[in-house]
Amino acid sequence: MPSTLRAEGIRHVYRGGSGELLALDGVSLSVDEGEFVAIVGPSGCGKTTLLRILGGLLTPTEGWVHLNGQPLSSPRRQVGYVFQNVNLMPWRTVLRNVMLPLEVAGVPRGVAEERARQLLALVGMEGFEEAYPRQLSGGMAQRVAIARALVGSPGVLLLDEPFGSLDALSREQMNLELLRIWQARRVTTVMVTHDLQEAIFLADRVLVMSPRPGRIRTQVVVDLPRPRTLEVVYTEFFGALSRRVREALDASSAL
Amino acid sequence: MAGRLPRWDVAPKTLVFGAFSFDGNGAVLMQKQENRQLLSGTERRVWQGGRSLVRFARQRFELLLVPVAMAVFVGVWALIGRLGNYPPFLLPTPVQVWNRFLTVAADGTLWYHTSITLWEILGGLVLGLTTASLLGYLLAKSPLLERFLSPYIVASQSVPIVALAPLLIVWFGFGVLSKVLVCALTIFFPVLINTMIGLRTVERDLMDLMRALQASRWQVFRYLELPASLPVLLGGLKIGVTLSVIGAVVGEFAQSDRGLGFLVNLANRGLFDTPLMFVALLVLMTIALSLYGIVSVMEWLLLRWKRES
Ligand SMILES: Nc1ncnc2c1ncn2[C@@H]1O[C@H](COP(=O)(O)OP(=O)(O)OP(=O)(O)O)[C@@H](O)[C@H]1O
Ligand SMILES: [Mg+2]
Repeated sequence: MPSTLRAEGIRHVYRGGSGELLALDGVSLSVDEGEFVAIVGPSGCGKTTLLRILGGLLTPTEGWVHLNGQPLSSPRRQVGYVFQNVNLMPWRTVLRNVMLPLEVAGVPRGVAEERARQLLALVGMEGFEEAYPRQLSGGMAQRVAIARALVGSPGVLLLDEPFGSLDALSREQMNLELLRIWQARRVTTVMVTHDLQEAIFLADRVLVMSPRPGRIRTQVVVDLPRPRTLEVVYTEFFGALSRRVREALDASSAL
Repeated sequence: MAGRLPRWDVAPKTLVFGAFSFDGNGAVLMQKQENRQLLSGTERRVWQGGRSLVRFARQRFELLLVPVAMAVFVGVWALIGRLGNYPPFLLPTPVQVWNRFLTVAADGTLWYHTSITLWEILGGLVLGLTTASLLGYLLAKSPLLERFLSPYIVASQSVPIVALAPLLIVWFGFGVLSKVLVCALTIFFPVLINTMIGLRTVERDLMDLMRALQASRWQVFRYLELPASLPVLLGGLKIGVTLSVIGAVVGEFAQSDRGLGFLVNLANRGLFDTPLMFVALLVLMTIALSLYGIVSVMEWLLLRWKRES
């Protein structure tokens, strides 16, 4: 069930005890069916805020989001969300964590278990079904979180700095895995990251945000051929793209 | 996206026959023979359940120290009795208490009074736990309600239950009901506080996850709030069951003609039958220890994930 995601004129103001905080101002974006879009930007620029709005978890102060042409005002099951922290339930085993979305959706236990096992196989976590989250490494936990986000066969996958806490090597490993999964499932994907190389390596387009209040400054189209391997990182073209994103980021920060 | 895996939202019901489950932490899954994998999963879970009980006994081998500690206690007690040679109404010897136990056990007196107190404790626990956890849930969910009610709740805690007990007896009579109420009141506060703390410790991000999954209020409770707060809830339950014994006795002390508290009172004030008083006190301790033990076993079974690492 491939999906398109559109956001138009998003503005978000947080109201708290200490006054108002303009987090996003005039953000518009459009993600095509099966596309992989990465969002980069300085810390605190509103990336998580934007992703929560795209997922229907947060209602923007102004602007709208359309999922498959339908207005989105509350969370949908067609949207899989991977949170900035891994967010697994410590009292559930790996298998039962992945089963959770299906259980909530009222899918019979047996079917849910079978599908969860398939998803765990997809993310390379067979053999860990009965482990508890605290027994996993950061990368393994992140795989489980991705399996959980995908288990309901969502049309859209939203990832919030999923590999932020990993070391460089596991991050590369996970990038490859994610690319493989995305290619297998062709989910429309929006991923927030602060790692430029990761963004370029994975995405079809990289959106560069300005510091708070967050706006989308530039977009860099990554026309690297697919399927991509890690070697692509060392090509001249990749270097040129990195420079462009880097410059866009610096330029927007300087404003 | 279509293809590969069956879509869950159109998952044909016919794939599963007679699937049912008891939710909780260790789910038991019953599945038709056809699905070998699931059936073995079921067996594995049952087996794990049994094994974890065995492990409980084995790893808790310190439990074996309990009889040893008791023997030491009784020994010291016997020694003091022998050295001081006190009259039984001051300090009876273990043998005198044991003999007294045998007589009251034989004529049914002890069982009668014990059963009364047990009913009071049971009633008090049911009443106290349900009201405290229900109110705790509401207060945890509604800061407004909490702000409105908490002064009353805290103030009510400054009134000693001992002072309140006679009033409750005037209102609700001599019978079991007034004791159940005293008992319920005694455990109310700690259980209430623990319920609130437990529910407040639920992570906001997991709450977001449940929202993203479009979980209903009930599902949020069942899949998130209950399991997340269970460690704290069980902690409150441990305090609650211990206090419930005190609560029942306080009620009986205020005014009663039956129950273990009555027996202590009678033995102590009326008959100077100190051995009988010791018997009643030891039974009360046994009740408290058993209740505590039951909650410990529940903890062991329900919080398996806390031990695994
Ligand atoms: N619930 C909230 N209430 C008030 N302010 C908030 C809230 N959530 C975020 N903010 C503020 O909004 C701004 C944007 O936050 P957001 O989490 O979207 O940033 P981010 O780009 O995801 O940052 P990071 O890269 O560090 O994750 C920050 O200044 C933050 O302090
Ligand atoms: Mg963030």
